Amino acid sequence: MIDKLLLLLLIILPLIAAVKILIIFRKFPKLTEAAALSATLLNLLLAIILFKSEIRFFAPWLGWGLDFSLRLYHFSAFIILAIAGFSFLIALYSVVFMRGKPCLNQFYVYFLLTLAFANGVVLSDNLLILLFFWEGLLLTLFGMIAIGNKNAFQVATKAFIIVGITDLCMMIGIALTGYLSGTMAISQINLPLGGLASLAFILLIIGAISKSGSMPFHSWIPDAAMDAPLPFMALIPAAFEKLLGIYFLTRICLDMFRLNVNSWLSILLMIVGAVTIILAVMMALIQKNYKRLLSYHAISQVGYMILGIGTAVPAGIVGGLFHMINNALYKSCLFLTGGAVEKQTGTTNLEELGGIGSKMPVTFICFIITALSISGVPPFNGFFSKELVYDGALQRGNIFYIIAVLGSFFTAASFLKLGHAAFLGKLQEKNNNVREVSFSMLLPMIVIALLCIVFGVFNYLPLNKLIGPILGESRLGGHNFSGFPVNMKLVVVSVVVLIAALLNHIFAVRVKGSAIKASDHIHHAPVLSAIYDRAEKRFFDPYDIGMNITRKISKVAFLCDKAIDWIYNVLIVKLTFAFTNEIKRLHNGSYSMYLVWSLLGLFLVAAFLVH
Amino acid sequence: MYSSLILLPFLSVIALNLPFRNLMKKLAFVVCLLVLLVQISLIVCPSICIWSNDLDIFGSFLQFNFAVDNLSRVMLFCIGIVLLAALFVQRYIIDDEERIFNFVNVLLLILIGMDGIVMVRDIFSLYIFLEITAVGSFILIGFNKDVDAFEAAFKYIILSVVATVLMLSSIALLLIVSGSTSFSSISDALKTSPDSLLISSAVAIFLCACFIKAGLIPFHGWLADTYSAAPAAVSVLLAGIVTKTVGAYTLIRIVNSVFGFESSINSLLLVIGIISIVIGALAALGQRDFKRMLAYSSISQVGYIILGLGCGTTLGLAGAVFHLFNHSIFKTLLFVNSAAVELETGTTDMNGLSGLSKKMPFTAMTSVVASLSAAGIPPLSGFWSKLIIIMALWMSGFYVYAVIAILASVLTLAYFLSLQRMVFFGRLKEDSANIKEAGLGLMFPALILALIIVAVGLFFPFIINTFILPAGNILGG
Repeated sequence: MIDKLLLLLLIILPLIAAVKILIIFRKFPKLTEAAALSATLLNLLLAIILFKSEIRFFAPWLGWGLDFSLRLYHFSAFIILAIAGFSFLIALYSVVFMRGKPCLNQFYVYFLLTLAFANGVVLSDNLLILLFFWEGLLLTLFGMIAIGNKNAFQVATKAFIIVGITDLCMMIGIALTGYLSGTMAISQINLPLGGLASLAFILLIIGAISKSGSMPFHSWIPDAAMDAPLPFMALIPAAFEKLLGIYFLTRICLDMFRLNVNSWLSILLMIVGAVTIILAVMMALIQKNYKRLLSYHAISQVGYMILGIGTAVPAGIVGGLFHMINNALYKSCLFLTGGAVEKQTGTTNLEELGGIGSKMPVTFICFIITALSISGVPPFNGFFSKELVYDGALQRGNIFYIIAVLGSFFTAASFLKLGHAAFLGKLQEKNNNVREVSFSMLLPMIVIALLCIVFGVFNYLPLNKLIGPILGESRLGGHNFSGFPVNMKLVVVSVVVLIAALLNHIFAVRVKGSAIKASDHIHHAPVLSAIYDRAEKRFFDPYDIGMNITRKISKVAFLCDKAIDWIYNVLIVKLTFAFTNEIKRLHNGSYSMYLVWSLLGLFLVAAFLVH
Repeated sequence: MYSSLILLPFLSVIALNLPFRNLMKKLAFVVCLLVLLVQISLIVCPSICIWSNDLDIFGSFLQFNFAVDNLSRVMLFCIGIVLLAALFVQRYIIDDEERIFNFVNVLLLILIGMDGIVMVRDIFSLYIFLEITAVGSFILIGFNKDVDAFEAAFKYIILSVVATVLMLSSIALLLIVSGSTSFSSISDALKTSPDSLLISSAVAIFLCACFIKAGLIPFHGWLADTYSAAPAAVSVLLAGIVTKTVGAYTLIRIVNSVFGFESSINSLLLVIGIISIVIGALAALGQRDFKRMLAYSSISQVGYIILGLGCGTTLGLAGAVFHLFNHSIFKTLLFVNSAAVELETGTTDMNGLSGLSKKMPFTAMTSVVASLSAAGIPPLSGFWSKLIIIMALWMSGFYVYAVIAILASVLTLAYFLSLQRMVFFGRLKEDSANIKEAGLGLMFPALILALIIVAVGLFFPFIINTFILPAGNILGG
């Protein structure tokens, strides 16, 4: 009984804190921060307490299988713990970062609501309940972006529309799934793919990968990186959305539909993943802004996860899931370092940065660790998860492997450029008296960076304790993915690629003369430069394309509407009044005329009846 | 006991004109009020009749063939209500004792005429009561002795005379065929005798006479001028009940009891009905005078009644009777309100009116109720009667007529909304600062009528089962 209450508390506690902040602590920023911190800390404690338990909570609700049911088991407990950890660390970070910013109150309200809804999504064992929390996340997403700078409202609208449309797809998918399987309880759904079920699968997948920020539903993330508050970026696109999106994707692929190697849907997922990896990382490479560069990586890394899970082979799935947690770690930490730089220098534009590594050594070290992780340098965590994904991709097709490795090359290249341009090189005049950030901002970065090392060096911890049970013994088939990768060929290729990236960087810097121009030779390469120009002008933004099409459709609809309006408002009215005026003209008040009409009428009637 | 409905006003008129005229002038209003109240209460609650058979002894002196069925009861009720409203309006507008006295005298005569029309079962007596009503109406139209009113009265006389001549000729022809004037014997004679030119032309002529009296297109020439030029109270009277009784009711009664529903008569009624509906509504749309618009709307609404009658089914008949009742109520209410507007602003030209709802909220509100009822908006009474008529049309297979009738009610809504907007809504004119709500004398009848509209609409199931369907049934049987 008590554990069921604790389970509910995971959702209720942040909600209460949010309401408290919204209503009572409006005018007291200190109390607001304290409430947010204590709520996230309590949530973390709860997550730790409940970590090893298996709990089901069930309350009948609407009937027809629509019940309020929650389920905590090893997978959801893992995600809950991760969410709780990130939210506490980022709350700690925000206390300093957000201090004195406008909309502080709203930020924490959305923060805690997001936490409550995210917990709800992870725990819910009923598709409808899941949808409810999922849509709640959409609202807080909108709110959190909208409280940023002056462009933020447009970006928020963009995010709202993109995610809203994909959520709509997911809603239909949920309805279809419920119809096909006859139940809404997620743990009881087990559908074979094919026919309508494939459609339901695709619709659900759209919802899941859109939440995780994959292409083609990504285009709000780089915009939000520039305009939304930074802790939002570290919390939502970097951590929560990956966790939730990939969690749901895994549930769909492993539990609800049992994706297998022979299915074309597996290929489809892998293609989405591969395309996302390569295109996003290419965009990241040429960015000249700290946060924007990171945001493209946030998209690109999702590609590895989707690719991994899409392979439907144990190595790939384990790699995808491992990459999910690794990416959440290093990507949020990278954003936090970006926030630290922004806080101290007032900018994230790489052209105004440089050489601050000596001024902010701790931040720089955290950056190095996480950058090495994301580039896949052994023995950091990113290396191991990427190797697993490569392994899975290679089993399914060389092309996927090649793209993944290519993505790795560009990732390494862009982080070399970023680190070089931001932390090394010549210090700019105005940055002379930059200091290290305060401890409560450093602590989250340090903790996460350490975790990156721990998850790399002791990778049997996450792989065997957290991810292994998700697939289950039968699916793992006796494989043990922990420890150093078995396939040494893959490792060699990876290392060669990394070295190539380093050489490329050194070469480019020497030729171009500055770190920030390190990617220019790729940027201005023949064919690529034209594509880049168009991409920078948002020619390929699915949102803008969709909006253009929508605008054209609405123009046509408007014309149709005007035509219909014209028929109703002009034609019919004109006709009516033409008749009316004619009738008025005939009624000239002459009684002899009226008499004639009557007599004519009489003759007509008589003729009619006599006939 | 129903003969007392004729005798009572008759004796009242005599009593009013006996010696002590000065005293009687003071009493005239009260006497008329009492007579009308007696009539209404007798219909609503027949058991209160304490004299039951006594007066029928006197009734037997009158050589009339009276009978009362459900249709007659509905009509008697309407007559009572509308005359009451007209009496109140007149009393409120004209304070002169002498003129009230004159008005009451004529009003009582008209009451005799109409009560007679709805109760007789004899075609010649019907004619006599029609004439009594018509003559009374002529006098009342010219009551204010202004030029327009005289012109209108003249037009009415001319066309009425035509109707009278037609009716008399028709009666003569029917007399040749049947040898009697009672409804039943003519009906029997028409059934047995072979189809002949004589009968057909008699029927045609009689129907045309009724069309003129009801003001259906193309026999409607007198109607708009008369309604708009007549004094306010008389407009209420004419539009509310007189033309409905002498025209629509007579048609219903004659077609049902005498001529019978033949397919040719039915299709004639349908055609005339639909033409009246559409052209009446179109003409109403073009009017810029409050009362003229109401007049053309009357034509359109009588068209619905005739359309219901033209179905030739029990349901259609019930719809026609119900619509007749509803039309009496809402058109009376609208004319009462037009009287209020005319009294307060001195004009009925809609171009000169605007925003009156701020000064006359009660009038505006009751007008909305009446307009919406006329346009057939649920849950007001007019919706149900139109619905029944359209259902009857559909069930009888007259799909085209049903569709046109529905579309025409859009026109109805259009002209009533434009009336509302021009007169009551919008910006108040600057020079109308001292306009005020009409007095209790007008508000009271308006309130009663509006309440009837709403109540009949809301308690429709009770009304339809208790009054309307029996009215249709008895006639159909």
